Amino acid sequence: MSYKMPMGPYHPALEEPYKLDMICEGETVQDAKLHIGFNFRGIEHLAETRNYIQVVALMERVCGICSNIHTLTLCQAMEQLTGLTPPPRALYIRVVMAELERLHSHVLWAGIAAKLMGFKTMFMECFAIREKVMDVLQAISGNRVNYSMNRIGGVNRDIADPLAVLGMVEQLEREMVSTIIPIFTTSTTARSRCAGIGVLTHEKAVSCGVVGPTARASGVPQDLRRAAPYAAYSELEFKTPVEEAGDVRARLLVRALEIMETCGILRQALAKMPSGPIDTGEAKVVFSAGTAVSRVEAPRGEVMYSVSWKENSRNPARVHVRTPTFANMPAIRYMVMGARLADTPLIQASIDPCYSCTDR
Amino acid sequence: MNLTVALARLLIFPGILFAVPAAWFFLWVERKSVALMQERIGPPFMQPFFDFVKLLGKTTPVRNGPGGLLMQAWPLVAVSAAAGAVGLLPVLPSSGGFEGDLILLLALLEIPSICIIAAGFSSRSLFAEIGSAREAVLSVSYNVVFLLAILSIAASQHTFRLEALAQLPVSPLRYLGILAIVVCLPAKLHINPFSLPNAEQEIYSGPLTEYAGAELAMWELSHGLEWVASAGLVATLAIPHFASWSVDVLVFVAVSFGIVLLLSVLAAATARLAIDTTVRFYWQCTLIFACLIMVLTISSTLFTRVQS
Repeated sequence: MSYKMPMGPYHPALEEPYKLDMICEGETVQDAKLHIGFNFRGIEHLAETRNYIQVVALMERVCGICSNIHTLTLCQAMEQLTGLTPPPRALYIRVVMAELERLHSHVLWAGIAAKLMGFKTMFMECFAIREKVMDVLQAISGNRVNYSMNRIGGVNRDIADPLAVLGMVEQLEREMVSTIIPIFTTSTTARSRCAGIGVLTHEKAVSCGVVGPTARASGVPQDLRRAAPYAAYSELEFKTPVEEAGDVRARLLVRALEIMETCGILRQALAKMPSGPIDTGEAKVVFSAGTAVSRVEAPRGEVMYSVSWKENSRNPARVHVRTPTFANMPAIRYMVMGARLADTPLIQASIDPCYSCTDR
Repeated sequence: MNLTVALARLLIFPGILFAVPAAWFFLWVERKSVALMQERIGPPFMQPFFDFVKLLGKTTPVRNGPGGLLMQAWPLVAVSAAAGAVGLLPVLPSSGGFEGDLILLLALLEIPSICIIAAGFSSRSLFAEIGSAREAVLSVSYNVVFLLAILSIAASQHTFRLEALAQLPVSPLRYLGILAIVVCLPAKLHINPFSLPNAEQEIYSGPLTEYAGAELAMWELSHGLEWVASAGLVATLAIPHFASWSVDVLVFVAVSFGIVLLLSVLAAATARLAIDTTVRFYWQCTLIFACLIMVLTISSTLFTRVQS
């Protein structure tokens, strides 16, 4: 006899309010339906009531984890409308901030995944390391969550001593190589919980249009840092980890490998950082009327901003945000169908969802 | 065993007067040691006691009808059974006991698990029912190994009396049985990697989801007493009696403490397994353990014949 099993909107497995209604037969999930919209904040409308300086601070609040990515994407779109080009040093600083954010986002996700497997020791370990990543972010920006680094035409703060930050990054890399990566790649219990579950085939991944690590774990070699380079990524060398299995373990491996690649990118960016100004120095910016689109590879996948401006206006006419979770969430239904009930929290978390950002 | 000795064992030592503080102590040891391994501070020493008292002071929702009565009854039955199991442990030499008390101990150790299953179904919560179903499957899986271990120990030493077992020297088969019991304890105590019935990320508190207040306090106490009984059973089987009562008590507490620490390390170092992996694990254990018993029995028989 099948029964309906609600998970959420408030549930110990969920970081934020959303709901997964599952139709189960015993311990097997037959079908699932996802409900979001519990954290709608009307940010896109608020953006239309803010001027071009205020809107950057507002959009930083879309997400509490990848706050920098949202301002980076918005500033890139606004730079298209103003015709400003950030100086090279600012582009490198943007890369450093984006990669540090990717690092802490992936480590945070690893912690959440560990908690959902019932592996609380690993959760604590991940969050202890994430704190250290946030310490580095604080050392650069003075902030731990909303860094206020991006502005139109550059960044707000310089990295005065890149080599000191490089030392901190190398220390972080050593800790990750010795703790998080081996446990997630070699632990028997962790492997037994992840291997072969929540499979999203390559074909399904393409037809659902999933993005980021979720796509790369299903064999889709998609990475905007490579496909449509922004900031200083075209001057840096890195690999795009791709796994073919499409299960939760593959998503875990992709993120583990990305952590290593991120450390490599950070090392290069900090070592090669050019000297010079960190912004264009324009006191006043003038927007041309029109719509600009910017895409950035956030830790969870592609973030897209579409920004429209009217002639002689200080406020945007429209700011549209598409978060990676919006692209990834339809795939959850296919991942959980036929899965064990015990695996569903981990499967739905394996896309690293951020429904609050999606709700906006 | 006369009535006075039986009452003294049940109410004083190793029964309620000793077992209840020991239950809180072991619960604290488990929480504190896991916290230290996770680089957390962990709860203060008195926290399990404070939790118990606080829960006792909470108002329990009124539930009418037989379902409500049953929900109130199950935790009391579980506490009584667990306390009775602790009372049967032959901690002190020449403390009584009777032929077959091992069987009674096994039954009493199983009653809290049955009560949890029944409580989950009585509460009629979806999450509790799933938790109860998991507990039932888990119980069927690990109990085969558990009973096989106890029976092999008893059969190899030709007695079902706990005190006689505690006084006999430890044989290789008994060590094997003790190892098998230790393998079953994480499932019996619902700790990682077998914390399936109360997997909070999946089904909240499982069978106890609908419980609150004094009834939940009783479940916590029952869980603590199960720790004492299970760790105590291993301690009494593994360590032979000494001449002195005080040394026996100290050794019993120390070995139980060591087992609690061992299980806490295991819980901290592992993720939760899924139900089918768990069932497979225990059935594989059953097979391996049965084969080992057979090999040990045949080899000891052959050895005896060669000697004679």
